[in-house]
Amino acid sequence: MARGEIELVTLTKEFADVTAVDGINLDVPAGEFFSLLGPSGCGKTTTLRMIAGFEQPTSGQILLDGTDVAYTPPHQRSVNTVFQNYALFPHLNVFDNIAFGLRRTKRPKDEVKQRVGEALELVQLGGYEKRKSSQLSGGQQQRVALARALVLNPAVLLLDEPLGALDAKLRKALQIELKALQQEVGITFLYVTHDQEEALTMSDRLAVMNGGQIEQIGAPRDVYEDPETLFVADFLGVSNLMDAQVVSAAADGCRVAVDGFELETRGSDTAVMGAAKIVVRPERVELEEHGAPEGPNRLPGMVERLVYVGSAVQIMVRAATGETLQALVQNTGAAIPFDQGTPVQLHLPADALRVLPAPAD
Amino acid sequence: MYRRWLWPSFAFPGILWLIVLFVVPFYAVLAVALGSVDPVTLLKPVPAWNPIDWNVGWIVEVLHRLAPGGSFYGVAIRTLEYVAASLALSLLIGYPVAYYVARHAGRWKGILLVLIVLPLWISYMMRMLAWVNLLQPEGYVNRFLTFTHVLSRPHDWLGGHSSTVVFALVYGYIPYFILPLFASLDRIDRSHLEAARDLGASPWSAFRHVTLPLSKTGILGGSVLITLPMFGDYYTPNIVSPTPTTSMIGNQIDLYFHGGPQPTIGAAITILLAVFLTGLMAYYMWTIHRAQRAVGAVGAV
Amino acid sequence: MAENRRAAQFSPLTRARGWLRNPWGRPRFLVVVTWAYVLWSIVPVLIAVQFSFNATRSRTIWQGFSTRWYWGDPVDSVWHDPTLRHALVQSFKLAGADVIVAVPIGVLLALGLARWHGRGAGTSNFIMLFPLVTPEIVMGVSLLLIFTQVFTIVGTGTFAQLLGHVTFSISYVVVIVRGRLFSIGRQYEEAAADLGASPAVALTRVLLPLLTPAIVASAAVVFAISADDFVISSWLSSGGGTDTVPIRIYSATRAAPLPSVNAIATIMMIVTLLSVTLGFLTWRAFTRDERGQKTDDLGALGL
Repeated sequence: MARGEIELVTLTKEFADVTAVDGINLDVPAGEFFSLLGPSGCGKTTTLRMIAGFEQPTSGQILLDGTDVAYTPPHQRSVNTVFQNYALFPHLNVFDNIAFGLRRTKRPKDEVKQRVGEALELVQLGGYEKRKSSQLSGGQQQRVALARALVLNPAVLLLDEPLGALDAKLRKALQIELKALQQEVGITFLYVTHDQEEALTMSDRLAVMNGGQIEQIGAPRDVYEDPETLFVADFLGVSNLMDAQVVSAAADGCRVAVDGFELETRGSDTAVMGAAKIVVRPERVELEEHGAPEGPNRLPGMVERLVYVGSAVQIMVRAATGETLQALVQNTGAAIPFDQGTPVQLHLPADALRVLPAPAD
Repeated sequence: MYRRWLWPSFAFPGILWLIVLFVVPFYAVLAVALGSVDPVTLLKPVPAWNPIDWNVGWIVEVLHRLAPGGSFYGVAIRTLEYVAASLALSLLIGYPVAYYVARHAGRWKGILLVLIVLPLWISYMMRMLAWVNLLQPEGYVNRFLTFTHVLSRPHDWLGGHSSTVVFALVYGYIPYFILPLFASLDRIDRSHLEAARDLGASPWSAFRHVTLPLSKTGILGGSVLITLPMFGDYYTPNIVSPTPTTSMIGNQIDLYFHGGPQPTIGAAITILLAVFLTGLMAYYMWTIHRAQRAVGAVGAV
Repeated sequence: MAENRRAAQFSPLTRARGWLRNPWGRPRFLVVVTWAYVLWSIVPVLIAVQFSFNATRSRTIWQGFSTRWYWGDPVDSVWHDPTLRHALVQSFKLAGADVIVAVPIGVLLALGLARWHGRGAGTSNFIMLFPLVTPEIVMGVSLLLIFTQVFTIVGTGTFAQLLGHVTFSISYVVVIVRGRLFSIGRQYEEAAADLGASPAVALTRVLLPLLTPAIVASAAVVFAISADDFVISSWLSSGGGTDTVPIRIYSATRAAPLPSVNAIATIMMIVTLLSVTLGFLTWRAFTRDERGQKTDDLGALGL
């Protein structure tokens, strides 16, 4: 029997002056690491809180393994939450915090002790039973919060930006740990974050939300490389947008005109007509020497600026069409032959270009 | 979270208590003030519970007495003068103290904070008693002043002087003024002042144009906190200056309930006092509201 | 340093003036005014306490240390004078009973008001705040009238005084507890519910333990304001046996009091200060674990 499948059906939450969640539909199969990604105010946290039970939806359904729990009180749902600021009970020590949920179910003392011990081992905090939460570091508190939720074997674990309060290095380490943990435990993780890198790293699939609606759902690779809307393209990574006009369309791609230059795209987005936007990722932009042999999808340009970011170099190039595009060149140790102010030739490979409908003005 | 009747039911006992023992008694004062007196004894009040039976006669009578020329006029004016003087002195003394403790006290801040909060927990009567002892003809104040030749002979401080009453009022109420003022001064962000100094303002100018406006809500809060109760004060004049020439409006209320009881008149004065104070309160709230809006973008205090 | 050596060559008066005039030092004028205020505020009370230990009947001329006014004097000491003893007992009785009645009602009211969002919430909040801004004489008048004209079964006396004390104490409890509720936020109750606790369990196992410092602090505050109350107690008093310590002090200062008045005032003051200190220390002890966040000084005071 599938355990931990979430289905949201036209879920809506309206507050007095704003619609936080606008009729979204979502299907998360059991055992998946699923992220809700979006800027603040997009409705992702409100969605999470409705699944947890802290907010009642205005309309719609929340199906947990087929049962609508939208109006079930939170203490009766087999869903547990890791809060953004952990919400560890200050008056209880680590053991009592983790045992809290178990004790509600009147389990025998030995079982409680055993399960708490196992949960602590799972999050690598064995031996910390007697500590108070104020004596723990941020990362340790987060792990206790995790253990507290997981010890109850919920069908679904909800995580509300749990790594937000930690510094960058710790965050990276915990991202890997969380992913490994999810695969080990095997339950559905529903993860809310505004950090796109985090969502791309950890998720099996993710949904990008904006203004209460879902813009796109898909695996990280699909959402990153094949954005369906301008917002998604812009929110994940750097996007390099250019205005364009669709000239002609064929089965496997189309030709677009960008300020006098014609580019070929080879993708599945052939439905767009008329005014459009072209998206290309910086790491796919190829730079060639000025005067290199011409070919399709090439534009002349001038290097404006180079920015060293450690593992790579960002090169801002002003294309002949007027836009400034960013190219990303990995730091392989070799010298970069393009200085500030030198002319270059931009190569935008056809299969790296995406055509998106221009926003209605 | 989801049971609508749960939390309101918690509030029920408290609200019921306050309605029965606070709101209803208020109404009783109204009913007595707007009622009539027993025609036989002319003393026992006959409260008018039904608004239809309300009789403004006694209110009008008291208003007459409060008007210039009436028997309450002098007391009313005197009360206003005492409160105004006490407020002014409290501001004069209290602002520097609050300012110093909030902004410049450094390592003394904790101790000073305890010391300025301490009087709030010492019984008001105790503090008045202390001064009554000191202001006796043979008390320390007279002895010190004659010793230093400021006075040629002992002064009768407690014999009925307005200055003594104002002094006692200031002494009694000033801690309640300093505390909210301290709170608002303490909350002013250092960076506002540093920015002002950085842009060329002198210390005095920075104070006038940054600190003072931002502490306005504190000043208003402190003013409300001391003037409202002060208007009803009768025990302070009675302790330090028990003569009719230095009595306050509260003494009149006290008189009409405990002297030769005419509760209806006492109730009428009380109602008028309450109306006056409500008006004052409304004015304060309006001023605070305006001050907060003006400061809003800079940082609510 | 060189500056100190040079300073030492000048007379104390010159040095004092120099200290006062230093433009780079902390504002000297403010320092002087502040400490002068503190002394003016506290020293008179200390003198009054001192005179409670005076060997003679004088409140103004010190003639030696004695505890006669506390228990020594067989007629006029606090221990032996029945009116003073009764006043002390009455004050403690009222304060204690006030705490027992007002704190539970106030805690419930705070919880109810903080979480109530429906109709009537605003009005109820207003009703709760009003006693805090009402002058005591107005409350005294209204209670006296209601107990003599309407609820005549109450009349004046100890029961009436208790009802009056509770009425003005409830609002203090609500403000203190509500402040604490606000700083705790909803997170712990949500976490408890998330982990399977019903609302009743969340309340008793999570919320109330976290509210303990506020409850204790409000108990201490209620005790203190009840013990110090004069106006309500005197308006609802039915004479001698129901007089409290502040009433005794008041009537004594208008007559020719003995240092035994100083003594009884000192006793009350010490008990009140102990109660407040206890409340404050309990608050600090309980919130020790939470003090990772920055609090301003008033927050640390528990205000």
